[in-house]
Amino acid sequence: MDWLRIWFSRCLATFRRRKLDEELDEELLSHIELAIEDNLRKGMSKESARTSALRSFGGLIQVKEMYRVERDLPFVDAIAQDIRYAARQMKRAPGFAIVAVLTLALGIGANTAVFTLIHALMLTTLPVRSPGELVRLTMNLSVPATDGHDAPLNLPIIEAIQRHSHSLHGVLGWCVYDFPFRDGSLNSGLHGAIVSGDAFESLGVRPAVGRLLTPLDDQAGGGPDGLAAVISYRLWRERYRAGPSVVGHHIIVTDHDATIVGVAPAGFEGVITAEHPDIYLPLEFQAVLYGQAAKHEGGRLWLQTFARLSPGVKRAQAGAEMNTLLPAILDETVPSAMRHLPVIETARFEVKPARTGWSKLRLQYTGPLLMLQLMVATVLLICCANLSGLFLARASARRQEFAIRGAMGAGRFRLLHQLFVECLMLAIPGALLGVGFAWMTGPWIVHMLGNPQAEQAISMRPNLAVLSVTLGCAVLCALLFGMAPSWFASHTRIEAELRTLHPRTAVSGTRLRNFFVPFQLALSLTLVVVASLLGSTIQRLLTESSGYRTENVVFALTDFLRIPEKGDALVALYRRMAARIEQSPGVEQASVAALYPLMDSRWTEEFVAANNAGRVRPVEATGNVITAHYFSALGIPMLAGRDFQDDNSDTDTCIISQAAARLYFPGNSALNRTLRQIIHQMRTGVDTFRDCQIVGIVQDTKYDSLRESPPPIVYIPLRAEVNGFSNAGAALFFIIHGRSVEAEKSAYLKALHEVAPTSPEIPPFEFTQTFHDSVARERLLSVLSGFFALLGLLLSGIGIYGLVAWNVTRRTSEIGLRIALGARRVEVFSLVMSQVIGLMVAGILIGGTAAFFASRAIRSFLFEVRPADPLIFALSTLLLILIGLLAATLPARRAVSIDPMQALKTE
Amino acid sequence: MGENKSDVLQGTLDLMVLKTLELMEPLHGYGIARRIEQVSNNTLSLNQGTIYPALLRLQQRGWIKSEWGTSENNRRAKYYSLSRLGKKQIERETESWERIAATMARFLAPSP
Repeated sequence: MDWLRIWFSRCLATFRRRKLDEELDEELLSHIELAIEDNLRKGMSKESARTSALRSFGGLIQVKEMYRVERDLPFVDAIAQDIRYAARQMKRAPGFAIVAVLTLALGIGANTAVFTLIHALMLTTLPVRSPGELVRLTMNLSVPATDGHDAPLNLPIIEAIQRHSHSLHGVLGWCVYDFPFRDGSLNSGLHGAIVSGDAFESLGVRPAVGRLLTPLDDQAGGGPDGLAAVISYRLWRERYRAGPSVVGHHIIVTDHDATIVGVAPAGFEGVITAEHPDIYLPLEFQAVLYGQAAKHEGGRLWLQTFARLSPGVKRAQAGAEMNTLLPAILDETVPSAMRHLPVIETARFEVKPARTGWSKLRLQYTGPLLMLQLMVATVLLICCANLSGLFLARASARRQEFAIRGAMGAGRFRLLHQLFVECLMLAIPGALLGVGFAWMTGPWIVHMLGNPQAEQAISMRPNLAVLSVTLGCAVLCALLFGMAPSWFASHTRIEAELRTLHPRTAVSGTRLRNFFVPFQLALSLTLVVVASLLGSTIQRLLTESSGYRTENVVFALTDFLRIPEKGDALVALYRRMAARIEQSPGVEQASVAALYPLMDSRWTEEFVAANNAGRVRPVEATGNVITAHYFSALGIPMLAGRDFQDDNSDTDTCIISQAAARLYFPGNSALNRTLRQIIHQMRTGVDTFRDCQIVGIVQDTKYDSLRESPPPIVYIPLRAEVNGFSNAGAALFFIIHGRSVEAEKSAYLKALHEVAPTSPEIPPFEFTQTFHDSVARERLLSVLSGFFALLGLLLSGIGIYGLVAWNVTRRTSEIGLRIALGARRVEVFSLVMSQVIGLMVAGILIGGTAAFFASRAIRSFLFEVRPADPLIFALSTLLLILIGLLAATLPARRAVSIDPMQALKTE
Repeated sequence: MGENKSDVLQGTLDLMVLKTLELMEPLHGYGIARRIEQVSNNTLSLNQGTIYPALLRLQQRGWIKSEWGTSENNRRAKYYSLSRLGKKQIERETESWERIAATMARFLAPSP
């Protein structure tokens, strides 16, 4: 406590310094006077009374200094002095200050922008009670030949964990949902989630108004309020004007009556990061929509699961306990037919920390964002090297000043302190401006994620964590670029400096400066190579033929779940609607499919040529269920055979892609042959099969992503029940091609209102959008890395310019002398340039090596580009050389035009 | 001045000041310095000035307080007196000093 009291009193004293100084003077004076009077009383003479009093007091000045040092905060004074001094320096050279601040703003701004995104996506702690206890539970399913993936769980498993586990409690399931939503005249879609009844309780979240969901709401048939709904704070404010009467309000969610029971607290966005839920319903809603069996189904994994570690339990212990329980839990929950599938036998529980929630985006973006962060850090290093060079040049011009200050008693520490304050005075405004840049470009960067949910949910407003990192960044920069000049200044030899008449002839520091140019060039070259590799990746992805026509194609998802037609009637409805769309003006083809191209979702089945069955192992192919005109709508050429018929006559037929033909019928024509589909019967555990005749062969296309080469694809006709097996789902896609996107969209909506008026309206979307969004990650990488590489190049250019300009200024008289002695202009030019070229060669050699390793590190982001692509390396190097020469030529030309008379006169 | 003067031990000056004030508060800086010199029979080499940083330290800790007043010969001077905290502190400091002194005495005593 003592130190607190002392510092408090010191702080107070800092503000009353002048008054306290006066008091001290007066006190000490009265001390001396008292002593003198005492001495006089003892009979001393006036003179010796005074001398004796002063002698026994000790050094007056020293006492005052000692007193002041302990009284207030002397360094505050020093800092204020340094700031005033630095401000004067900046006023004297405003150009330098502006360049420095802008450079830093770009460097720090880029870092802030990328870090803000990383923070929002990966580092933000959930606003729940003791988030450190929160874990995410998944089941790791390793399919042979893949790395395995973390699958979600389901309700029976969650309940089994609740019953058996001692190390975990509060297990909750969470599934994001899009709900059609109606309230009075309002009719729209809402993004939300269905959650376990005890989810809010387990998370420890308090309602803003009313109550949150409870386990009672989650029982079969609903709770006391029927189907209970909790809305987000945002929805409450925007749609219900934050009125308390919202509790008890009736709404319609996906055609079912629900009651709003409460409002979630402000800032709560659920446990899935980068999501933006506006409404929460109990898991019971799954039963309301699809029946109790769907809610309690054990064969499907669909619930993101979170839990809390019990007190004192470590995550590893919980994981160990879970995996001991695993066989029993699987026995209890998995349907017997699936229980002994290899994928279930090798499954394992994973317990991962969930302090920051979880997001699918993390799988996709963690690597790219870390890479971008590394790139912007590199840009910042280049910035610092630049500024360091500039500072060094200034420091060498200020040698005499340092020497004089040293001679007047400024300690080395004091000089360093002064320089550091000067650096900070540039770094802090730079950082503030950088935060502004990051803020402005934030929405644009988030938009490039190509995820509408994330775009709404991720706030790029710099928060406290981001700001403190930025500030730390600025201080680090100041240290980095202040280090070289400070080191240099602190080694100033006073007497030597003061003796030198001409500060410009001093050469020390040049070597240090020379080091910065190759360093910058090496970093820039690495950035340029990486950016070019990523740039050609996206270019290849977008230009390489996907096999599809993307122009003027729209997709539309149907939701025919609640219309009465099932089976035959449903298939007929689809066909009727497709025909109706095709009749509309401006539409050429319309087809129905289970999956649309590049949907990022895969459906695989095992097939084998019927004549080889038993001799050859069945092999997986990707599949799709379609109706007629699918190929013509998407511009896929029919290579042999025919398309499916418009009616139900195609039942046991299929159409396959070239790749599938090669896979199942190598060396033979596949047309009219029979392909056998192997069907694993979940219920009985016995494999059955279905034969289909190949009636057509189509050209290869990509399937779910642009990154892969075209896989073998088997197209199966849409049909109602055949042999107890139907593939006519209630959520299929219409694929429409025509003259214009608008015509297709309106044709679809018109047909929907006509054929299935009760179905919810889901807006159609364009294939071109899907196409571009499917490479959102690559787009983000290439655009940002390209920008950062340009920034690096620009900064390196400035660096080279600065170095050469400085050299020319420094050597003005030397050059003047050379010209006076008859040196030709070309010789002077090459004299200036030769030094730079040497540095550039060094930079390119180092940078080439660094780029070689960097390109290997980013290999997984590349597509059909070799990491060490010689053309890219050559072009990048060429670009760098061009920029370097350009930057060097400008000041070199000034050297050539030096007037010898002038130069020698100023000597 | 005498040859056998010892330097003031670190930390002991504070206790001397406190003890002086306990006996004759309120007192100005000169008075405190004189009193310490007298009590020590001029065996301490004390620059009177060093009393002032010590007074500042004690004040910052809240053990003493100060007030401007008028001296016996009509001169404005700053008078120091103990605070409540300071009175408690004297006990604590005395105790710890006695402990140190006793320990030192044991070391210095001729070994049996």
